[in-house]
Amino acid sequence: MSPGRASDAILQVADLHTNLGGQWLHRGLDFSIGRGEVVALIGGSGTGKSVLLRHCIGLTRPSQGQVKLFGENICELSTEQLTKVRSRYGVLFQEGALFSSLSVAENVAAPLHEHARLPPRLRDELVAMKIRLAGLPMEAANKRPSELSGGMKKRAALARALALEPELLFLDEPTSGLDPISAREFDHLLRVLCDSLGLTALMATHDLDTLWGMVDRVIVLYAGKVIADGPVKEVAELDHEWIRKYFSAHSGYR
Amino acid sequence: MNLTPPSLYCVAIDQGCLLKPRGRWCIDYLELLDQLLLTTPVPHDCRVRVDASELTDLDSAGVMLVVNRLRAQGVVWSNIDLVHFSRHQLALIHLVAERLDARGQPRRRRAAWLPRLGRKAAESVSDLVSQFVFFGRIVEAFADIVRRPRLLRLREFTTQLEAVGLNALPIVVLMTFLIGVVFAFLLGIQVQKFGANIFIADGVAIAIARELAPLLTAILIAGRSGAAFTAQIGAMKVTEEIDAITSLGLSPIQVLVVPRLLAIIIAMPLLTFVGVVMGVLGGSLVANAQLDVTYYTYFERVKSVLPASTVWFGLAKTPVFAAAIALIACRNGFAVQRDARSVGEYTTKTVVQSLVAVILIDALFAIAFPEIGL
Repeated sequence: MSPGRASDAILQVADLHTNLGGQWLHRGLDFSIGRGEVVALIGGSGTGKSVLLRHCIGLTRPSQGQVKLFGENICELSTEQLTKVRSRYGVLFQEGALFSSLSVAENVAAPLHEHARLPPRLRDELVAMKIRLAGLPMEAANKRPSELSGGMKKRAALARALALEPELLFLDEPTSGLDPISAREFDHLLRVLCDSLGLTALMATHDLDTLWGMVDRVIVLYAGKVIADGPVKEVAELDHEWIRKYFSAHSGYR
Repeated sequence: MNLTPPSLYCVAIDQGCLLKPRGRWCIDYLELLDQLLLTTPVPHDCRVRVDASELTDLDSAGVMLVVNRLRAQGVVWSNIDLVHFSRHQLALIHLVAERLDARGQPRRRRAAWLPRLGRKAAESVSDLVSQFVFFGRIVEAFADIVRRPRLLRLREFTTQLEAVGLNALPIVVLMTFLIGVVFAFLLGIQVQKFGANIFIADGVAIAIARELAPLLTAILIAGRSGAAFTAQIGAMKVTEEIDAITSLGLSPIQVLVVPRLLAIIIAMPLLTFVGVVMGVLGGSLVANAQLDVTYYTYFERVKSVLPASTVWFGLAKTPVFAAAIALIACRNGFAVQRDARSVGEYTTKTVVQSLVAVILIDALFAIAFPEIGL
C-alpha cells in the first residue's frame, strides 16, 4: 500500500460481454475502480449485477472481454495465482452464504485457518475482534447461522469477509433484508471500515439511502451497457428515463 | 511495496512514556507483534504517548493487538495520547477500541461423558417415539385417503413410480443378471464334481427367487431411492418448502410421503420379479456354456422344480422391505435440520438404517417360513 500506487485502478473491467442462455446480458461493459473508492452498482432486476460481481470475483468467466484485479487479468491466472488474489479480497454474498454447519466464530476463523498461519490464541482473539467489529454481540459467536436473524447473518458474513484484512470488498446487496435502522448502521460501519482500512468496495445494491449516504460513485447498468458512471449527485440529474424513474421512486415516499 | 517488518520503541519521557511503533503493523506479522508487545513493559500509571510517525501500515488486527495488550498491562485508554496518526487510522483505532470494550468470549464447553451418554440415550428414546408418531401420522393419512380417495396425489404418485420403478429397471436387470451368472458359475463348479449338472437349475432358480433377487433389489432401492427421498425432503425442509406446504393448508405427509410410500411398495415387487427372471436367465447362460445343459433342458427343469409358491414367497417379502425403506427415508428427511451438513448426515442414516431393516425383516421371514417348498 505504498503511496505511489494510490491512483492505480484496483479493478478494471474492459469490453465485457456475457451470454447467458443465448441472450446477451452484458454488451461491452467498461469501468475501473481506484483504490479507496466505494462504488455502487445499480440497475434493474435482471440487468446482471450479480453476474458481473461473480465475473469480478473470478467465479465465472465472461464470454468476452477481460477483468483485471490488482492489475492482473483473472481469466489468465493459474489456480495458484488465483488463490493468492482471492486472499486479497473479501466477498459478502447476498444471503450471507455462511457455512451452515459451523458456528459464527468458526465461520470467521475459516479464512484465517486457510490463509494465515497464526497460533490458536491469536486467531481466537482476532476472530472475537472481527465479530465485535461487525457489530455482533459476543453471545452470537457460538451460535449456528440458522439461529441468527437476517441482519446478524449479514454482520457475521461481513466479519468473515473482513477476516483476512482484504484490500477490496465485493458486496451483493449488503442492506437487503435489514430494517432501515440496521441498514443505516451497516452503511456507516462499512464506510468507517472502508475509510480506516483504505478498503475499496464494489457493491450491487437497490438501496437508495445507501447511495446517498455512503457511496463515492455510482455505476448504472442498463440494457447490457454502463449508461452512467459518476458521483451520485451527477448521476441522479442525468436525463435518462430509467435513471429518472429510479431516483424518483425514492422521493415518492418522502 | 514497503515491507519493513514491525518494531517497537518504548522510552520514558518527562510525563510518562513514549511508544513508537515502526514498520507494518499488519495481520501478516501478528505473531511478531504479539512478542514485541509482550516483551515491552509499559507503565500503567502515567500517560502513554503513541507516535505513529514511523508507522507505515496499520490494519485492524494490529490495532486490536495494541489495544488488548495495553489493556492487559493495565493502561487506561483515556491515558493514551495518539500523535501523528492519519485521520483514517484514528478512525480505525477509535472504532476497534470502542468495539473491543466488552471483552470475553463465552467458550463452548465440552460436556463430560456421563451427561453425553445420558443425552444420547434420551435422544435414542425420543427418536423411537418420533418414529412411532410418524408412523401414526402416515396411518392417519391413509385413513383419510380411504375415506376421500381424491386426496391421493396421482401425479406425484406416478412421477415417483417412474423414478423409483422404471428408472431403476436397468440397474436391477444388470445386477440380478450378473449375480445369476456368478452364482451359477460357482454352483456349477460344485455340481460338476458330482456329475449332477442338471441340478444347477434347481440351485439357481430357488436361490434367486427366494432370497437373492428380493434382497438385492431391496438393497439397491434402499441405496438409490431411500437416499433420494431423504435428500429431497431434507432439502425441501432447508428451503422452507415444507413449511410452505403446511401453510397452504396441505399435509406434508399427504403430499410427500404417501405418494412415495405407495410408489415404492408397488415398484418393489415388480422390480423383484424382473430380477428373478433375469437371474434365472443369467444362470441359463452358464449352464449352457459350462455344464452342457441345453437351454431347453434347463428351463424344463426350472419349470418342474420351482413351485409358484417359492416365487410368491420371494415377492411377498418385498412390499414389507419397501415400506420399511420408505418409512425410514421419509422420517429422516423430515428430521433434517436447517443446515447443509445435516442433509448428508440423515441421508447416510437412511441408507444404514434401511439396510439393517431389510436384513432383519428378511431374517424374520426366513425364521417364520423355513420350508423351501420343494
